Amino acid sequence: MVKETKLANLAARLLPWRTWVQTGFLLVWLDPLGLRLHNMCGPVFHCYACPLATFACPIGVIAQFTAIHIFPFIAVGLLVAVGVLFGALLCGWACPFGLLQDLAAKIPTPKFSLPKWTGHFRYVALIATVLAVPYFFGEGHRLFICRVCPAGALEKAVPDMVQQALAGQQIIWPNALKLTILVLFLVVIFFARRPWCRILCPLGGIFSLFNRISAFFIRFELGKCTKCELCHKLCKYDIEPEKSPNDLRCIRCLECTRCGPGALNFGSIFERAAKAMQN
Amino acid sequence: MTGKTKIIVFCLLGLFAAALFIYGVGFHSTNVLAQKDDSAAFTKSEPALIKEVSIGGVTRDAAGNLIQTYTGKPPQACPT
Repeated sequence: MVKETKLANLAARLLPWRTWVQTGFLLVWLDPLGLRLHNMCGPVFHCYACPLATFACPIGVIAQFTAIHIFPFIAVGLLVAVGVLFGALLCGWACPFGLLQDLAAKIPTPKFSLPKWTGHFRYVALIATVLAVPYFFGEGHRLFICRVCPAGALEKAVPDMVQQALAGQQIIWPNALKLTILVLFLVVIFFARRPWCRILCPLGGIFSLFNRISAFFIRFELGKCTKCELCHKLCKYDIEPEKSPNDLRCIRCLECTRCGPGALNFGSIFERAAKAMQN
Repeated sequence: MTGKTKIIVFCLLGLFAAALFIYGVGFHSTNVLAQKDDSAAFTKSEPALIKEVSIGGVTRDAAGNLIQTYTGKPPQACPT
């Protein structure tokens, strides 16, 4: 279907290739050139302890800086800039941890819905493990985000354990809580779509706060909506896009823009500005 | 939210983000004490501090000073 704007058309053309776009972004995050630019944050959830990490994890940086009582200007500035531009678009199109969950969701196992209220736990995780615990107790506390993060467990602890096992060395296991969260994560990703992103991801929680005000957004045109509710089926994350197109729980996969009548499209404030200038 | 309001919010937040980022990259720095000789302090920019925290390289001591957690070669990865 031909969309009204160039941006909407571009999004519609890229949509079938979303998984490949996410895979392509791995070339950015997984440090193929060995640059190890850990003096700069990336805008996605990827552990900086991973041997294949180009940038530092913004959540890890915020937590570590909070632990030493220094304001992380670069990390916060980056997240606000990315959020105000894209909202949670990077969650749906660029995040490697999101890609892992999307690939797991392709396995044909029964998928369960997650109640709406579970999305609030992201903010509990953000306030508790990224801000409060580091600030009051330091990075040594067992609930410090990096000590429980499944990304760190999967991207550093597990490869380390494999390496130790292959080298015949004593295997150093991650702490019990980290291990439990990792195991739960690896089970749940086959039975629910994007459970980490929807329930616990502090970075997704930050980006989704910008969904309603970001420069790029999902535009809903009421006049075109036929109330067919096709978008309810297209959205895999239990959101009703025509009622809440820029919902806090939305990861902006843009699947709802496959909407038959064309009521839901990917838009930007720059299109409105350009139209206003033309008029 | 109208389109005009969105543009204003975008511009204001964008400027705010840019200001934070530029300050962090260009101006923000902190004194860090070497681990063994705490009279030797060196100034680290925020990007350098980001690299340090990514390997667990700085902490606050009991007196509230920022102190390096290692001597000699830095660790390869974050200990968490």
